[in-house]
Amino acid sequence: MNRFVPLLLMAGLLFAAGCSKAPETAAPAGPASTGGSGKKLTLGFMPKSKGNAYFISCKQGADEAAKELGVELLFDGPTDPDPAKQNEIVENWITQGVDAIAVACENKDGISTALRKAKQKGIKIVTFDSDAATDAREFFVNQATPEGIGYALMDEAARLTGEAGDFAIITASLTAANMNEWRKHIDARLAAKYPKMKLVTVRPCDDMKDKAQSEATALLSAYPNLKLIMAICSPAVPGAAEAVKQAGKTGTVKVIGLGLPNENRRYVKEGVTQSVILWKTVDLGYLTIQATYAVAKGELKAGATTFKAGRLGAMEIQGDNILLGKPFVFNKDNIDQFDF
Amino acid sequence: MIKRNFRELSVAVALGLLLAFLAVAAPAFYQPQPLLSLLAREAPALVVACGMALVIISRQIDISVGSQFAVCGVSSGLLVAAHWPVALVFPLAILMGAALGAVNGLLVAGLRLPSIVVTLATMVTWREGLRWLRQGQFVNLPDGGQWFGMAQTTGQITLVVAAVLLLVLLAWGMKNLAVGRQVYAVGSDAEAARLAGIRPPLVTMGTFVFIGALAGLAAMMNLAQSPQVDPKSGMGLELKVIAAVVVGGVAISGGRGNLWGVFAGFLLLACISPALTHLHIQAYWEKAIQGGIILLAVVADGLRSRRSNRTGGGAP
Repeated sequence: MNRFVPLLLMAGLLFAAGCSKAPETAAPAGPASTGGSGKKLTLGFMPKSKGNAYFISCKQGADEAAKELGVELLFDGPTDPDPAKQNEIVENWITQGVDAIAVACENKDGISTALRKAKQKGIKIVTFDSDAATDAREFFVNQATPEGIGYALMDEAARLTGEAGDFAIITASLTAANMNEWRKHIDARLAAKYPKMKLVTVRPCDDMKDKAQSEATALLSAYPNLKLIMAICSPAVPGAAEAVKQAGKTGTVKVIGLGLPNENRRYVKEGVTQSVILWKTVDLGYLTIQATYAVAKGELKAGATTFKAGRLGAMEIQGDNILLGKPFVFNKDNIDQFDF
Repeated sequence: MIKRNFRELSVAVALGLLLAFLAVAAPAFYQPQPLLSLLAREAPALVVACGMALVIISRQIDISVGSQFAVCGVSSGLLVAAHWPVALVFPLAILMGAALGAVNGLLVAGLRLPSIVVTLATMVTWREGLRWLRQGQFVNLPDGGQWFGMAQTTGQITLVVAAVLLLVLLAWGMKNLAVGRQVYAVGSDAEAARLAGIRPPLVTMGTFVFIGALAGLAAMMNLAQSPQVDPKSGMGLELKVIAAVVVGGVAISGGRGNLWGVFAGFLLLACISPALTHLHIQAYWEKAIQGGIILLAVVADGLRSRRSNRTGGGAP
């Protein structure tokens, strides 16, 4: 047994080495920047990871806005969610002399130092999807407040169950900060508005579809009066739906959750999943670039309370958060209009 | 008989007590359809646990099984989505798993590297490769391919029967076939096994290829149960099956244990989560209880080996 201890240590070292792996080729192969002094503005747009379907659809909207505004858009990010790689890209963009950077931050504290440095060089910073430290950027484009998400989920659950009956929640883990924040608002809404509804249990699925399917299978037999399953992490929505379908409870037990249309399309069409809640990611990318452009131009300054964002019209600003608005509900009628 | 298999029997008794308690406190646990679904959900992991038992008995470990499972699942999913016939994809998945296992086997048996480090490296490599390839996107399978074209209940029964049949065959083979005894021999004392004419590197290679193939088989058994493949699937599978093997009485230091104990250990751990759901106990307790069971098993093994060292016994 003793021989395992040094092995485990070695394993740990190897793992640590794997985590801080050497930088891969970093610089985007994009066209050379105009140095910020030319007429055409250059904006950097960085997702948490650049191949992720969610961010690719954000990029669609960003491209659309860039075209409308006539700016050059640099799109780069880590292949994996990797905070160190994000810093590196920011450093590269500083060297290239971009005019503004829009970034979805993987690690709030990690990236803020790099962003402050960029700010000192006169580069304007806007964050979207996930924020940096408030002093490291001008604005945060907030896709949905925890309150907005919690209320939208609870209201949708109430609407589908006729405001009465038992429901259960499947979450990623019992410790995930963002999900606990949403749950707080779900609980508050439930207590305030729906006295005939009861949250019977909360089960974790480790953010995996397979586990969510198993958990939902057990829920369905353990709680025969269950009216609805609310899945608040994206892999759990199709997982719960498959379990409901296999249990022959399609329609009797409703399924709703936060997720992506492509992962849930078949269940929504079959009537297993009633509603998938998210924001319009294309609009998030669009609004982000509109705002980044306006900040870079000096048209959008701290203290503003509204902002006119192209085709989206006037958007509300709370403090330094530009709000995308209410979450969007994907259902049978509209899901085919979205592909991400 | 009882004394020799005390360790396995104690796990079986614990499982029996849990099942009996559930029968009284939460009879809904025994509704046929949900119970069958639960068993079918666990069948793939049981198959991998069988392979893990062999690897650990031969005094190695393979923590890359979860990644192998995911790679095989996603690759097979992509082939099925490209309308390759399942009859072809099925053996391919097993072959691919065997190939991934052979990588581990070559590094461990050929280069004599420690298996925990080798399989840690392959675990991370396959998993990261998959992340790079899929970026977390599900593979959507075509309609109608679920359960390999069988009806749901037939499909579920087939999966459960297949997993249990595999376990029974392996349990028999490990006891009665020469190759099974060789695995024990290598795990007890590789040098003695070599002197007895066994080639330990070959046995090690074989167990790694075998568990890889089983990971491929398990991936297909999982693929049958849902029309989508999650590239994150199989995360934590290695811990789940190692825990089942250890709780089932296989000595982590090799050479001791059998498949029946693994079966009991696996079922005991697999029942905890649905049991808590049925007993309406909060999920906070789940991991703690599972951890407690593992700890108990390890402590029992530790005490046992100390005792047998003192008395000089300890043959399996």
